[in-house]
Amino acid sequence: MARNKVEKMKKALMRSNTRLLLSAVMLFQAAAMLLIAFQKGAINVQALILAAALPLGTALVTVVMGRIWPVDRAILILVLFLCSIGVIALSDIARSDVTPRTHAVYACAGIVVMFIGAALIRSWRSWKKTLPLLMALCVIALLTPYLPKFGISKNGARNWVGIENVLTVQPSEFMKPVVIVCLAAGFSNRPRFVKCLPVIGFAAVCCGILLAEKDLGAVLLYFLTTVAMYYVATSNAFISLAGLGMGAGAAVLAYRALPYVQARVAIWQNPWSDYEHSGYQLIQSLIAIGSGGLFGMGLGMGMPRNIPLYYSDFIFASITEEFGLIFAIGLIAVYVLIIMRGLIVAFNARTSFHSLASFGLVIMLGLQTMLIVGGNTKLLPLSGVTLPLVCYGGSSLVSTFFSMGLLLGISSMNAEDEARDIEQLELREEMND
Amino acid sequence: MKELRRNMRFIGTLAVVLFVGLAAWFAMTVYAQGNIWASDVHNSRLKTTGSLRGDITDRDGNVLATTAEDGTRLYTENALARRALSQTVGDTAGMSGTGVETFWSSTLLDISSSLTDRLSELFHSTRHVGSSVQLTIDGPLQAWIASQFPRGYRGAVCLINYKTGEILAMVSMPNYDPYDLAARSEATVEDTAFLNRCLQGLYTPGSVFKIITLASAVTHDPNVVTQPFTCAGEWEYEGGHIVCLGGTAHGDVDLKTAFKRSCNVTFGKLAYQLGLDRLKATAERFGFNENFKFGDFVVYNSSFPTRIDNMNELVWAGIGQGQVLVTPLHMALISGTVANGGVMMKPWLVRCIVNSLGAETSEGAPAAYRRVLSEPAAGTIAEYMYETVRGGTATRAAIKGLNVCGKTGSAEISDDKSVETNAWFTGFLYDEAHPYAISVVIEGGGAGARMPSELAAKALKKAVEMVG
Repeated sequence: MARNKVEKMKKALMRSNTRLLLSAVMLFQAAAMLLIAFQKGAINVQALILAAALPLGTALVTVVMGRIWPVDRAILILVLFLCSIGVIALSDIARSDVTPRTHAVYACAGIVVMFIGAALIRSWRSWKKTLPLLMALCVIALLTPYLPKFGISKNGARNWVGIENVLTVQPSEFMKPVVIVCLAAGFSNRPRFVKCLPVIGFAAVCCGILLAEKDLGAVLLYFLTTVAMYYVATSNAFISLAGLGMGAGAAVLAYRALPYVQARVAIWQNPWSDYEHSGYQLIQSLIAIGSGGLFGMGLGMGMPRNIPLYYSDFIFASITEEFGLIFAIGLIAVYVLIIMRGLIVAFNARTSFHSLASFGLVIMLGLQTMLIVGGNTKLLPLSGVTLPLVCYGGSSLVSTFFSMGLLLGISSMNAEDEARDIEQLELREEMND
Repeated sequence: MKELRRNMRFIGTLAVVLFVGLAAWFAMTVYAQGNIWASDVHNSRLKTTGSLRGDITDRDGNVLATTAEDGTRLYTENALARRALSQTVGDTAGMSGTGVETFWSSTLLDISSSLTDRLSELFHSTRHVGSSVQLTIDGPLQAWIASQFPRGYRGAVCLINYKTGEILAMVSMPNYDPYDLAARSEATVEDTAFLNRCLQGLYTPGSVFKIITLASAVTHDPNVVTQPFTCAGEWEYEGGHIVCLGGTAHGDVDLKTAFKRSCNVTFGKLAYQLGLDRLKATAERFGFNENFKFGDFVVYNSSFPTRIDNMNELVWAGIGQGQVLVTPLHMALISGTVANGGVMMKPWLVRCIVNSLGAETSEGAPAAYRRVLSEPAAGTIAEYMYETVRGGTATRAAIKGLNVCGKTGSAEISDDKSVETNAWFTGFLYDEAHPYAISVVIEGGGAGARMPSELAAKALKKAVEMVG
């Protein structure tokens, strides 16, 4: 009987009615893909298939995952929604049908990885013991772009590894959740500063490697996440601020010493001074955003292809052009919603490790979104990070799905713990009666 | 755990606040600058769009630019008028980057028109026509002023309504014919003809800057008007010396006499007495060193030195030489501020925007930009400027039956005397019914007392006749 009650409680805890949200998302996906399918004279078969596959896939994943574990469905649906925005935008703006198809395949892989992530964090309870191993693995993975045959440079950063035209991956993307898990394990249970030193040293080594690889965006993300997690875990404002100060000092030094950092800042300050070369992509991004106006040029009516990297670094500008300012702000709001739900997961977690891990995952997601949206709109210098879950690129997509899987896993553990609490409370009341 | 939660709440709130700030900033910049970005000459959407450009009309509805049935862009028929308006209106090739055709192209083409308009056009199956833009410019007046501009000289005339901030005329010489663009590679058009000197011409102001030195003096020390000055035609001070035009010794003068005779020695002393900080403060109240964003058009920023290495630079800055630079539009605004009791009005160029369905989507309105001077201070300066026209250096600017106030300037643009000075006049009609302020600059025109003063008088008189 008790078992039955726990199941009931689990369901009650997920009662936040997500059916409406799910229907709205499915409707949007189907409508957008149908529009793309019938837009140009000939029917786009792939878009037609996706028009059915996207909403059905979303519903299927939501239901299946919700059946297996009592995960936070709102986060899950919003994550799938963002991912489908990527597929829709790419179906619309990419030059060939291959790009959205590849992206959809990555998304499927990502969803599988998300399940793995959730299962991992639920079952594996001895993070502390595996910490040194994980840290070593992480450093080695980050160093792989230096492998003589397999290391690859793209857009000025040496942060890819693999065999060109077959399979290339970006270790700095895949290591994001791993680093956060390491930090969460190292910082859990309110350690003294000295005890944190190995983990902090590890984070510094990671940042150093990434800096050497010229992956500025990743350096920034890793660094800020580390500081935020350290502060949250230890309440040590002094050391956290000192860390931030050191980071700022390092940024100034990097600016002085590294010409490519200076170039980035110069473009940001005045892209118009060198329109033909360095300023070109930012100006085209602003032009696209400006042309979109409030309601956008309309799906398939814009010309976001004028922006170099319209499908990756500048996908936010492309989406703003086609869908308009209001939609773009709505998109930002979706990220904020995921972050807020994620923070609730962090609040409710039972151990400081799980709490810190979910906090770190959410903050990393937030920082990444801010950096790239700010970069697209000339609020911040462009730092070459991806728009999480939307932008084209397998490494980032799969890695973010894995992160979200960890978050969802923790949310399901919270729900089970709460259900157990309520059950015990009721048992006690029965005894009292 | 409790502490952990509290810290997470703090950082989480911070993150959400940052996100709200990001979204707000994003919305604000797109709202404020989206049109400017979209109108960028590099925006290929403007070239490939199937829509037709809307009309550009002047304040009385005279058509300055329109699109024919076959899509060709037509400008004013009269060749002289077409040339006179060239930089203001712009051209299809975007040669005059500040022109309305370029700066307002996303509006004229309406590349991101509202949903309802698009639906309505879908049902009527008409070709999309962009919005029409009505300017505050008086086309015939601008053409007439251009026709009166001294032959063979370069320069600018800017005429505004100082009570409303409307720009009535922006003449920039030399100009070009927007139809002649095909031949531009053959050097038939002078390069600088594409510049709108009113907005893009940064000139040394010379003596017209004395208005600001005077304003600074009367603001910071009202007793300065009774202070006696002595001018021996030149003045030696530590680190340099200054001379009056032609070495004239003005003798014992008060400030009013020194102003109307444009005495460099007195104003050099005045700048010295005020010091850089006070003079700079007043200049910056007037808009120097400010990043102008008026919205309707682009204007270059005027500059005043923020730091000086020696007294010499301060003294010369006081009479508008050295590192001081100003655009003719800004100079007209400065005169207008004096005339308007010390309040600078925000200049505007676009009266209204009407979309293809005939509905007005945006309307310009007068707006105060900033109170620059107290009313008594503005009154004193206006009186001095009136005296300057009545019996000082600017007597040729006088118009029978109208109260003209003004100030001349002859700005040195090289260290030796081999290059003729740039001639300036700026002034206004002190008249409730005809609130016009003007600035005239003629490059290499010699003394401001001659050609610019005469041209200003003609232009102001014509403005009263034509605009009312």
